[in-house]
Amino acid sequence: MMSFIRPRLRKPAWTVLAGAVFAAAWVIRGGPNWWLFVTLVAVATAGRAFAFYAWAGEDDDVGALAGSRADERQNQLSLRSRALAFNLTALAAFAGLTVAVALRASWWWPFAVILGVLVFGYLFGLSSYGIAEEAPADDPETEHQPPAPVGR
Amino acid sequence: MRNRVREQRTQRGLSQAEVAAALGVSRQTVISIENGRYLPSLPLAFRIARFFELPVDKMFDPGDEEADR
Repeated sequence: MMSFIRPRLRKPAWTVLAGAVFAAAWVIRGGPNWWLFVTLVAVATAGRAFAFYAWAGEDDDVGALAGSRADERQNQLSLRSRALAFNLTALAAFAGLTVAVALRASWWWPFAVILGVLVFGYLFGLSSYGIAEEAPADDPETEHQPPAPVGR
Repeated sequence: MRNRVREQRTQRGLSQAEVAAALGVSRQTVISIENGRYLPSLPLAFRIARFFELPVDKMFDPGDEEADR
């Protein structure tokens, strides 16, 4: 989708797009100081976009990820970091939900929504990436044999 | 898993950056492979073996892992 944009500009472009959407939310919200919040969002967005652009010029793993030119090891690093972020988010959402329930608070539902999205995303990922694929064995004689030992 | 990437690279007088450019990966990945911190994917392992003109099993040695089976 973003392939027509130079790799180094992709993450800054996403940042600017997200910042514009968030700034539009402040404009729609209105109020006496809406322009102040829009200005803050614009400054933060510009800073983040510039930071991504600057990082992308570095000759290291972070630079490769920021510049959308990561190789297989760097993509694996990113994937593992995302998995860690997923686990921490799930833990935080579960803790928040537990506290909210214990306190009979009305703000329990955002935690439930986050947990629901995480569970749905995980299950959707399992089905999309083929873990449910069950194919018959090529050779019927080997079908009922115990599986061959694998490493680790 | 041991490998002969560093040995082969130095024998040919190549820098890590040159090998990285030839393999289409980053210099940091070549360093990680040489130090044994990263196990390359099968396609990358074949690219490495082809680049150094050696069979994959001469380039990568499972060492103790094979004996553990």
